[in-house]
Amino acid sequence: MSQSLRPYLTAVRYSLEAALTLSNFSSQEVERHNRPEVEVPNTSAELLLQPIHISRNENEQVLIESSVNSVRVSIKVKQADEIEQILVHKFTRFLEQRAESFYILRRSPMPGFSISFLITNKHTETMKTGKLVDFIIEFMEEVDKEISEMKLFLNARARFVAEAYLDQFVY
Amino acid sequence: MLHLQPQNILIQKTLSEAFDALNKGTSLTLDRIISDFDYTTFHVSNSPEDKSILLLSIRTKAWQSVQKCQGSIGLLDYLQSKYQGCSGAAISPQPEMGYDLTLQITLSQLTGESLVQLSLLKTIVLSYPFQLAFDEFAQLSSTPVPVEGTPPVSNTLHTVQYRDEESLFIKPASDRITVIFETSFQDETDKIFGKVFLQEFVDARKRNRSIQSAPQVLFSHEPPLELQHQIQPRSDPSKRFVTFVLFPRHFQTQELQFNSVAQLILFRNYFHYHIKCSKAYMHSRMRFRVDSFIKVLNRAKVDEEDDSKGDSSVHAQPTRRTITGRKMVY
Repeated sequence: MSQSLRPYLTAVRYSLEAALTLSNFSSQEVERHNRPEVEVPNTSAELLLQPIHISRNENEQVLIESSVNSVRVSIKVKQADEIEQILVHKFTRFLEQRAESFYILRRSPMPGFSISFLITNKHTETMKTGKLVDFIIEFMEEVDKEISEMKLFLNARARFVAEAYLDQFVY
Repeated sequence: MLHLQPQNILIQKTLSEAFDALNKGTSLTLDRIISDFDYTTFHVSNSPEDKSILLLSIRTKAWQSVQKCQGSIGLLDYLQSKYQGCSGAAISPQPEMGYDLTLQITLSQLTGESLVQLSLLKTIVLSYPFQLAFDEFAQLSSTPVPVEGTPPVSNTLHTVQYRDEESLFIKPASDRITVIFETSFQDETDKIFGKVFLQEFVDARKRNRSIQSAPQVLFSHEPPLELQHQIQPRSDPSKRFVTFVLFPRHFQTQELQFNSVAQLILFRNYFHYHIKCSKAYMHSRMRFRVDSFIKVLNRAKVDEEDDSKGDSSVHAQPTRRTITGRKMVY
């Protein structure tokens, strides 16, 4: 792991741990509704907390928006060139299509980010908060690794295929 | 399956099936449509009167443009010469309705060799403009170069439009033959993957010493100089041009000529096939990755079963629940 990745992930970890103190909270506006306050247009400012923006560089950022009963974590995955862009796009779309098995994954990312998670008080009640944070940190590490591995694979395959094709012309 | 084969395996199989059935005395009634790359369809059917005679028809996108290529021999004469030595096959004077060319096959005279030759039908049709280029090359290269001046230049440019959007161009010269593929991608992902692949085709020869004698490959966004009077520069910005420069060593003998042509005709198919393959691989890889992420996430879940078991072994007493089913916590 590179020198600057460690403090970045540590910062995300501590911010998430701090943000994930959620409690059950029924809607103040609609009777018998209990909705993630961070997702709904809110007139009561006391329910929303100050969003935390952690950025390693312009390509890698995390935005943590918290409210009284829910936290929205948006991650921008590193995309150095157009190959990585398309790989990240494909990968995140693939995950989002399977959002129901991920419980905390949001079906569409926040504008400007690659992927978003929405953690509500329901999740923190049924899952261990520490492990949830572990998951998000591991996700961030693995995604970068996966994207660069896929890119390497693509290049290696292209090279192999090209050489195999041209090899047929060697008489 | 790394390489694609120039022959059509389905034709091969159908014909050998029919041949075997005839030998057993139970001739097959056939009416099959067989497809191949680049909008090519074959139709294999029995002659209505005689079941030992098969008709093999081909329809291909490239036919019209191949027919237009001007050269020393006509397309039909060329095909005639290719199927002359092929026992049991003859070009029928009248092609079947809706098809470009029909071959009449007498099953009883069929040999293994002619079977292969028949399954190469598409490759042979497409090899016609290449053959013209080889002939012209031979003519150009044998003309003595004037002492002061430039070597003879050919004005011919054979165009084969083998798909709706894509064509290939063949340009003979006195020392080489240039084959240019025009490519365009429909899919955004294919476009980027294609760029990676094409770049590797260009670099492969420089990097690997063992394939130094392969044709030179060039890749450009602008139409190459050979095509500049044919295509307006930048007429379609999504078009890419892949150029193969064949040197005399690639078409010295008949066999080499056939090899090179068969490979070149399959270039687009080969290239797109491998793009699709890498997409499929990435898909299965992502599937695996999703599973591993779900495993990590499931670790976070509070597992009720485990808890109750753990509790009972430590405290040696069953978990107590309230009447609504909630666990009692002490």
